[in-house]
Amino acid sequence: MFGQLFLKECRETARSLIYWILVGIMLFFFATQLGETEIAREPEKGQESYGMHQSEDPDVIMRNTLGTLADEYYRESYTTYPIGFAKTVKPDKKEQKRIGEILEEATGLDQGEIKKTMEEYYGSVTGLVAEMPMEPVDGLTYKRFKELMKEVDELLGGGSHYGEQYLAANGIEPMTYEDAIKEYHLLVEKDGLSGGYARLFSDYMVIILGILPVFLATTREMRDRRAKMQELIYTRRAKSGTIVVSRYLSMIVMTLLPLFLLSFLPLAECIKVAASDGIRIDHLAYAKYILGWLLPTVMIVTAVGMFLTDLTDTAAAVLVQGVWWFVSVFTGVQGIDGGAYGWNLIPRHNTELNYKGFHDGFVQLVSNRVLYVSFAIIIVALTVGIYSQKRRGRLNVRGKILADRKSKS
Amino acid sequence: MSAEIRIKGLNQYYGKKQALKNVNLTIETGMFGLLGRNGAGKTTFMKVLATLLPKSEGSVAICGKNVEDAAKIRKIVGYLPQEFSMYGNMTVYEAMDYLGVLSGLSKSQRKQRIPKLLCKVNLQEDQKKKVKTLSGGMKRRLGIAQAILHNPKVLIVDEPTAGLDPEERVRFRNLLCEIAEERIVILSTHIVGDIEATCEEIAVLDEGCVIYQGTVAELIKMAEGKVYSAEISKKELDLLKKRYVVTSMLTLGNNVMVRFIADRKPFDSAKLCEAGVEDAYMYLMHGKRGED
Repeated sequence: MFGQLFLKECRETARSLIYWILVGIMLFFFATQLGETEIAREPEKGQESYGMHQSEDPDVIMRNTLGTLADEYYRESYTTYPIGFAKTVKPDKKEQKRIGEILEEATGLDQGEIKKTMEEYYGSVTGLVAEMPMEPVDGLTYKRFKELMKEVDELLGGGSHYGEQYLAANGIEPMTYEDAIKEYHLLVEKDGLSGGYARLFSDYMVIILGILPVFLATTREMRDRRAKMQELIYTRRAKSGTIVVSRYLSMIVMTLLPLFLLSFLPLAECIKVAASDGIRIDHLAYAKYILGWLLPTVMIVTAVGMFLTDLTDTAAAVLVQGVWWFVSVFTGVQGIDGGAYGWNLIPRHNTELNYKGFHDGFVQLVSNRVLYVSFAIIIVALTVGIYSQKRRGRLNVRGKILADRKSKS
Repeated sequence: MSAEIRIKGLNQYYGKKQALKNVNLTIETGMFGLLGRNGAGKTTFMKVLATLLPKSEGSVAICGKNVEDAAKIRKIVGYLPQEFSMYGNMTVYEAMDYLGVLSGLSKSQRKQRIPKLLCKVNLQEDQKKKVKTLSGGMKRRLGIAQAILHNPKVLIVDEPTAGLDPEERVRFRNLLCEIAEERIVILSTHIVGDIEATCEEIAVLDEGCVIYQGTVAELIKMAEGKVYSAEISKKELDLLKKRYVVTSMLTLGNNVMVRFIADRKPFDSAKLCEAGVEDAYMYLMHGKRGED
């Protein structure tokens, strides 16, 4: 019964409008974010640029951070991300004065010199304003630097570039030829070329997969009631587990299907480049990353959608998942270049490079993904329990709400 | 295994409100009618039998199986709710096939049974039509087909003729009678005509209590000698309505031909009539008022 029901549910999913909207969004997102990805070739000496990479060197972090601080201090306008969204903060005179003092201590420059440096900088740049590094004063320890930046962050209300969790992200610097060749060899030798691009693919797609499946799950679970088919299904012989799990798996499979199909495009590009450059490619890299990186997110989001919809008979799951997604996306920005996966629903790794970050954070990433798979399984089991109770006329939350409304009116 | 439904001391509560009060019934193979006003507790009763509501008190056994054993009951019970539909984008055949899978039928069983059942409910020509394009009557017939898809021993049908035109209603009643030849069919309705045309055994529910159980003939017998008709002027109608339960009336110019219930001949021009099920039902429901 399970197999036949699963196939029927897949077919029903494929016929639903919401599914094709979901596929359309995936296609759009893929085309706009990954459509023009070029597969890296071996860097050559004398290139104009070798790209950027994130340095862990405290000197680089201090230089970049102080440059940003000097710039914002000069403009008397600071950008913070207290709940993820950018916010412009204009400190009062006392706060601005204190930030100036901190800047003086950290750079060894007085107010006049800082102002002059910035004026010269703005006078020299044409077109886009690039990052301007500023040297720390001799003898400034990284510990003291962090203390000073923490104070600035507190003065700005938190979420600024100077908060402890943001400091590492300030360590972006241009790669040298040596850096670039090292990264390239890691990409080719450790990632089999396609592995790095599969990670980049997962990095983008996981963003939308942190929210889209909830729409599919919610509409599927509400469909029986809307179609007035609940009682016809409830009185059938099929076990609640069979009904719920077949629906769940069908939604998972149907969500993964376009991802697998889309992944053939960048994989084909990788195969082409690998063939011409004589690189041994990992043909299964995309499949591995889809199953290892994306599947857990799809599983948990779908499970939450089904659970809350079955529990409340409303679309509350969309709201709950929306909040979770919002928080995850914006907290994920802090580790956007990979390696700092934490327990985020949406683990980021927005580069085909940084194999070292991936390698160092691998155990955490696996723990993260296993945790969400485990949660998803538990939530699906709870959904089966709820569905079973509802079939017997229990847990009728919607009925109770309607009854309460009637009794009050 | 006994082909009967035994209900003993069934009480059902919604919070403090009691929807069923000490219901005791035995239902055997054939058509069984459950008659009562809207809100009498019929749907609650049907839902308990269909495992859609947990009973509060008492015992209910369907063909020897306790109703609490939902998995076993679902195998032998077919249910057609009062309000239902199916996924609108499915064709008639697909909807049946989907529900067939949920009923545990194999592919070959479904292939064999679905065309037969659609033929039985006269939907064989419409099997490729989308469910959303079906008329109310066609949907009801499809509802019956899905309810007997797994060949249940018991079929529970809740207010099946509501909203149907007279022709569809007659067709539907005949269909139910055919189905009831080999199984228990419980038909719940507030339309007396449905019962009269189809059921031998009936029960009447009023405010959650069974106030009558027996044959239709016995019910009619209760009202014998108590149904009168008379042609009266329109002015006299209000007074007659206050004193007696009027079961029907027909306007004839300035006069009205009324049919009403009275314990004894109320006036000279009143003529004693043969009682029908509707008269008997009204007598049962308003018996006390008639005696006043």
